[in-house]
Amino acid sequence: MDFKHFRLLYKLISKNKKLSEKRHPMFERNRFMKIFTYCMVAFMACYFIFFGVVLGNAFLDGSIEACDMLNQGIVFLLIFDFWIRFGMQETPAQEVKPYKLMPIPTNAIVHIFLIKRGWNWYNVFFLFFFIPFGFITVAQMPYFGWMCFIGYMVGVWLLFVLNAYWYLIWRTLINQHIIYILVPIIFYAALIGLGMVATDWLFTGSMLFMRGFIDWNPLCFLAVLLCILVLYYVNLWLQKKFLYEEIAKTEKVKKVKSQEMSFLNRYGVIGEYLKLEIKSIARNNVVRKIFLSGLIITLIFCSITAFTPAYDGGFMHVFICVYCFAVYGIMTLTNIMGVEGNYIDGLMSRKESVLSLLKAKYYFYIAMLLIPTLSMIAPVSTGKYTIYELLGCLFFTPGCIFPCLFILAIFNNTTMNLTQKIQQKTTNSKAQFFVSMAAMFVPMGLMYVLVMLLGSMWGGLVMTALGLIGVVLHHVWMKAIYKQFMIRRYENMSSFRATRNA
Amino acid sequence: MQLATLKKVFGDNVALDIDAFTVNSGDVLGLVGNNGAGKTTLFRLVLDLLKPNTGEVTIKTEDAEYITSKTEDWKEFTGAHIDSGFLIDYLTPDEYFSFIGKVNNIPKEEIDEQLKRYADFMSGEVCGQNKLIRNLSAGNQQKVGIIAALLNQPSLLILDEPFNFLDPSSQIAMKYLLEDYNKQTGATIMVSSHNLTHTLDICTRVALLEHGHIIKDYSKADTDMIAEIEQYFEGNVHHEAITTEA
Repeated sequence: MDFKHFRLLYKLISKNKKLSEKRHPMFERNRFMKIFTYCMVAFMACYFIFFGVVLGNAFLDGSIEACDMLNQGIVFLLIFDFWIRFGMQETPAQEVKPYKLMPIPTNAIVHIFLIKRGWNWYNVFFLFFFIPFGFITVAQMPYFGWMCFIGYMVGVWLLFVLNAYWYLIWRTLINQHIIYILVPIIFYAALIGLGMVATDWLFTGSMLFMRGFIDWNPLCFLAVLLCILVLYYVNLWLQKKFLYEEIAKTEKVKKVKSQEMSFLNRYGVIGEYLKLEIKSIARNNVVRKIFLSGLIITLIFCSITAFTPAYDGGFMHVFICVYCFAVYGIMTLTNIMGVEGNYIDGLMSRKESVLSLLKAKYYFYIAMLLIPTLSMIAPVSTGKYTIYELLGCLFFTPGCIFPCLFILAIFNNTTMNLTQKIQQKTTNSKAQFFVSMAAMFVPMGLMYVLVMLLGSMWGGLVMTALGLIGVVLHHVWMKAIYKQFMIRRYENMSSFRATRNA
Repeated sequence: MQLATLKKVFGDNVALDIDAFTVNSGDVLGLVGNNGAGKTTLFRLVLDLLKPNTGEVTIKTEDAEYITSKTEDWKEFTGAHIDSGFLIDYLTPDEYFSFIGKVNNIPKEEIDEQLKRYADFMSGEVCGQNKLIRNLSAGNQQKVGIIAALLNQPSLLILDEPFNFLDPSSQIAMKYLLEDYNKQTGATIMVSSHNLTHTLDICTRVALLEHGHIIKDYSKADTDMIAEIEQYFEGNVHHEAITTEA
């Protein structure tokens, strides 16, 4: 293939890639999400600029050159960059698939995807940090100047391109077998370990190497370019080697044991939906991950509260108490109906099945409150919290916070991909965002005010009373939610169908 | 079942537009038509899974009359399978059938009895495999959906493209299964299919859809039904254009 055709192909593939991102169903149906994502990227860029300015100024007063100070730790930035790429980038072997049957040389397509991996906006994103930092610490220094600044930026960019190809090797191998993840873990652990033992070797080495970029030392640039070239060809070899395996890849079908859970049979239809909830957590990657992270966060906060003097007074005291009880619900219920979107037609073709499902979910989440309750016994017994505060949170969560979160069942209409392994496209909508914020901070404010005004005993008792009202009336508010859900059913069903397998 | 001034529009495209159509009790109605004719849209509208722009679907039983968008009571005697959106795919087929049985208040023994009846149709590849539904082949997923729709012994059964993904033996088994079910229970059955042979074999009535309109409603008694339908589909194919392009 001549260069002209190669360039044409490169343009076409780039255009397809842009369209696939732009037309992702998750974004197409959710304008808020689209704007939110752009805002988050802009926020991150501002955050980087802010840190660049702050660190640039802070390091100016140091005993060594400001840029050298940062450059000593450049390896940590590269390690950070390496790991966050796992959540965002596929391997070219996965991307080549749609082009495989076309009359285009596979070699050319792999080259295009590899070049695109280096020539990628992502590799320049860290420049939002380095440009202001370099401007303050290099460009403005009389003994460095603008040429040195440009050399520094080009060097940093080349290092991130190098990191992209380094990441790609491990990402490809990990796709073949998860055991390969141990190699970068051990490599980086050893690197940091050695750095700690012999600081000169790693930190001074990094500093001198980066100084080479600033001084336009051709050897430094040549060394990085050579490494990029070597890694590029290693990647080329790996991608071609694993291309057919990636294309023909089939998931190993695991046999599962049917779980009867007969202890739930006594609860009739609700018991059946409870079984469904438990199986959904046990058998779906995404749901299991959310469940485990919710559980871990709850346990971490409970342990901090129980065994450390942190958060002993003021607003944080209230924050932790409410957080321990509410965090699991907030993390999981904000996506309520996301799992069910996968089989919404089946649910909707059976009478009131969504109502039974919502009730089962409510009982499940109440049962889950046992974990923070047991964890909070220790801080209550040591006097950090009163029993009234504990009871207040225990009842306020299912009586007032959960109903707010369950309201999202009316508005959520994005189907959750249950089998995705690497990353779930975030499905936050405007309603999810505001309700989860309200569910978190309104109870905190309320408890803080009540405890301030009435003391912990009466404050806790008022919260308990409010919560009990919500729990006792759960059939009423649940039916009201179901009624609203049915009013919006057509819109929701259509969106669930459109985002299924997205 | 009566469809009255039923219309569904997606953007500028009229997906379905039916002034009046009645499906009688005990009919085995086949919907045939090319892609985009409106078969699935019609089923979704009947099952209240889509909002019509105008019109409504009324189901009459001996005791009552139900407008499908206004009440959910008709769901108790209706069974349907359209696509994988009906299946809870992280359950095994056995768990799924048990779930369907329990939410419909059907005793376990009765479910087991029914599953025995469908054993031939499942050809030993569905139950007892300890595989999640999502890990089954498309054909076996289709079988799970069809059996699940039949479990509550519905008096109205709606199946969209039930012969899709099935191997030839299963297609024939499916044909007998529907015929027997109709004979034994007197249920009203609505099926859509691109497989003309099977559809014409089992249906007592065939509605021909084109661009959202029912352009012809045949009864099995019409002697020229098969010839006319075949002629219709033949007429849609422009041999000359294809051969010239080829």
